[in-house]
Amino acid sequence: MEDQRENGMPNLLDLQEFDEEALKKESEEVLQMRLLTADNAVFTRTQGGFLSLQFDGKNYDRVGVYLTFPLTNPQEFISIREADEKAKEIGVIRSLGDMPREVQDMVQEQVRLRYFMPVIRKVMEVKDEYGYAYWHVQTDFGSCRFTTHMGGDAVVSLGEARYQITDIDGNRYELPDLYALTVMERKKLDLFI
Amino acid sequence: MKLLYTLKESQQQALSLRDGETIWYCVPVDLAFDNRARSPQVSYTDQTWIVVTEDRLMTLRGEEKTSEHLLADCEKIKCEHQVGCGIVTVFPREGLPECIARFSMRHIIRVAYAVRGAQTLVQAVQEGKKTQMVSRVESREYEKYCERCGRALPGTSKCMYCDGKSDILKKFMALCGEFIGRLVAISLLLVLLAGINMFNPMVQRYFIDNSLANGQGTMTDLWLFIILTFVLTVGGMICWIYRYWLCVKLGASLSMSLRAKLYYKIQVLSLSFINNRKPGELMNRVSRDTKQIRAFMQDVFGDMLSTLVTMVVSLVMMMIISWQMTLLSLVFVIAVIVITRLFWHHIHTIFHKQWLRADDLSSNLQDILSGMRIVKSFGKEERESARFTEKTRAYAAIQKKNETFWAVFYPILTFLLGVGTYIAVYFGGIQVLDGSMTVGQLVQFVTYSGYLFGPLSWMTHLPREMMLMLTSLNRIYDVLDEEPLLADKAESKAFPIEGAFTFEDVSFGYQTYEPVLEHISFDVKPGEMIGLVGASGTGKSTLINLIMRLYDVDQGKITLDGYDLRDVQMESLHSQIGVVLQETFLFSGTILANIRFAKQDATLEEVIMAARAANAHDFICKTPDGYNTYVGEHGYNLSGGERQRIAIARAILNNPRILILDEATSALDTESEFLIQQALNRLVKGRTTFAIAHRLSTLRDADRLVVIDKHGVAEIGTHNELLEKQGIYYGLVNAQLRMSSGEQ
Repeated sequence: MEDQRENGMPNLLDLQEFDEEALKKESEEVLQMRLLTADNAVFTRTQGGFLSLQFDGKNYDRVGVYLTFPLTNPQEFISIREADEKAKEIGVIRSLGDMPREVQDMVQEQVRLRYFMPVIRKVMEVKDEYGYAYWHVQTDFGSCRFTTHMGGDAVVSLGEARYQITDIDGNRYELPDLYALTVMERKKLDLFI
Repeated sequence: MKLLYTLKESQQQALSLRDGETIWYCVPVDLAFDNRARSPQVSYTDQTWIVVTEDRLMTLRGEEKTSEHLLADCEKIKCEHQVGCGIVTVFPREGLPECIARFSMRHIIRVAYAVRGAQTLVQAVQEGKKTQMVSRVESREYEKYCERCGRALPGTSKCMYCDGKSDILKKFMALCGEFIGRLVAISLLLVLLAGINMFNPMVQRYFIDNSLANGQGTMTDLWLFIILTFVLTVGGMICWIYRYWLCVKLGASLSMSLRAKLYYKIQVLSLSFINNRKPGELMNRVSRDTKQIRAFMQDVFGDMLSTLVTMVVSLVMMMIISWQMTLLSLVFVIAVIVITRLFWHHIHTIFHKQWLRADDLSSNLQDILSGMRIVKSFGKEERESARFTEKTRAYAAIQKKNETFWAVFYPILTFLLGVGTYIAVYFGGIQVLDGSMTVGQLVQFVTYSGYLFGPLSWMTHLPREMMLMLTSLNRIYDVLDEEPLLADKAESKAFPIEGAFTFEDVSFGYQTYEPVLEHISFDVKPGEMIGLVGASGTGKSTLINLIMRLYDVDQGKITLDGYDLRDVQMESLHSQIGVVLQETFLFSGTILANIRFAKQDATLEEVIMAARAANAHDFICKTPDGYNTYVGEHGYNLSGGERQRIAIARAILNNPRILILDEATSALDTESEFLIQQALNRLVKGRTTFAIAHRLSTLRDADRLVVIDKHGVAEIGTHNELLEKQGIYYGLVNAQLRMSSGEQ
């Protein structure tokens, strides 16, 4: 979907990709984890709703916030990357909890912008009809109707009683705990779990 | 896909359009975004739109305009794919990027197209062009949901529930028309069968009433009855077998005819149609959907008609014998339908669960088997087998449960279905006892009621079977009705190609909203060898696809010998192009058949000459069956270099005017590469050649090199010219020299 041709930063010449020195340096750099802390990194929220960063003498107008363990450890090892297509890593926040409150809020806001996986709170109805299942659920985003295939891939287990449901558009929904649902609701999911 | 939704009057007003300002694109978004704070909200939203006019880009929430940008103030507008969602970002001419809307994956394709449209407007404004000159971006993709009923569409343009059903049935009838003789035969047989079925109980009644019940029957009557019943039964059986055989034949011919049509159509359709679909999906349409139709015709179609006829006639006969008892039975019919439906629904659910488990189990097994080397080398056999055991145990448990259920409840269901007979016997018995009904009539009635109840449980499946067949038909006709995008026109020309190409401001993208090549312009003289150079993903192979006209350009034009490529007859073009690709595909068949692929009537001598030119003759001679050696899947194993050389022989055989080499020598050992290089050098002479190579040494004989970077032509010239220029090419050459010296 993303328009690959254009990106915020001026694209490095492909020539430099072949520059041996630069490549070597880059692969050396990857070895180190550059930690961003409250002392060495200054995050600022931009007017446009993004995050800018001053770090290591450089100023980044816009940075990308990438969770490295979005499903299991969303608060740890948050990779802060350049906003262009290459998305080169600037540094890593070891644990978001160690950052000042306002930085936490700013980073969390970017996470909310970038990641979308509604959490299912209540299952109202699941109807199966010729190869498709039509769901009606309550999520933390509100009431939602979506459609999945009837095949085995629509609902996958994320371990224990945690499930992830993928609809035909590619949206993913999280069911954090199957046993938090009522017996009636679980019965509706019988076809999948 | 719809890119221009209609807004309500009040919403239109909120936009306060100036005179003559029109809405170009208007698409919905579904995630709430606070445009004042520029912050995402944890909520879905309804009635929120992105609106693009020739002047402005706006967002609208309900009846409130939440953001507004003049296109003239924008540097660019982008639709950015996030994780599970997307955002629209505006890059103003001055200042930092701004996020203006957020949406889930449901809308991402639509928004991406609309934003692409907005971007072309922004570009036009920047270049000072009139916006009237800009063409609207259109999406050829299908909607995923039916607009009217909201159901998911199975990769088709029409919804079966809303507008497709009668249409599809009509087409299907037309198709059946080809087999009208067989259909008539089947119908006649059906009537005959129903007649025999109806007649049998009548004979029984007559025999019981007139020979057995009144004690006046003779042995002759008995023999007559037995012979008559025997004849009817055998006759019915023959009719039934013949009918079944006809249905099987009809189903097979129908599905064969559909399959052939589908296969032909898929060959004709452009690559873009095929690329828009998942790889397995078209295969499914050819094999599974046609199979579905065969199964329907053979198992359901015939039975359906004969059962319906039998049931209706039984009902009428029952009415004639005793309408009171018939009504009583009908009440029971409803009960049976309800019970069977519930029963089958439950059965469906529990067996679907079992199927899911089986699926899980087999994919797990496949995982482990194909990863066996890894499992063993890490010494994790114990853990993996424990994991597998657990899964089989779960599967066995559910299987046991299901089979138990089946074993217990199926007899119960059968019993329930039989209860109707008891009721009939009870009330009929009373009537027989008080003399208002004869024994023969009772027997006849009971037999008919059996005809009525017997197929009931089967009948409850009918809607499902019908729907499955309609879905398959819909998916098949969806392909058959597709118009090929790249079709020869009446005025298309066929001519011997000289090989002069001109690219005039060519732009192209596989998805219209995502350009791969932009503003490409250069000339190629006949017989010239052009090397295409650039990093991967810059569009070199795409350029070659355009030359082969596997796709049509979006903007600009490519001319061949002065004719627009779109006016050249496809077959004429393709018969004069030879192609050697990196991924050599050999069809299952002999080496001979593979070399002859492009020119079926080539003589053996020509084939050998082509193989010699490709440096392939020697190794072919060494294979056990020479040119008759079977290759391809399950065939003789050829090395990468050998396959490549066969591909080259295939390309040479035709004596093509244009030659296309896409990484023809990569990933080969030095000796094979040398042999192939030699073969190629022979091949290239006198033909217009386009060659892509990562190893620049391969291109040292190229007349000119075209360096493609950032979707456009970055540099163009001879090897020496480009070296002098000290640009990208110079950098690439130096880097490769250093790398190869480093290797030694």
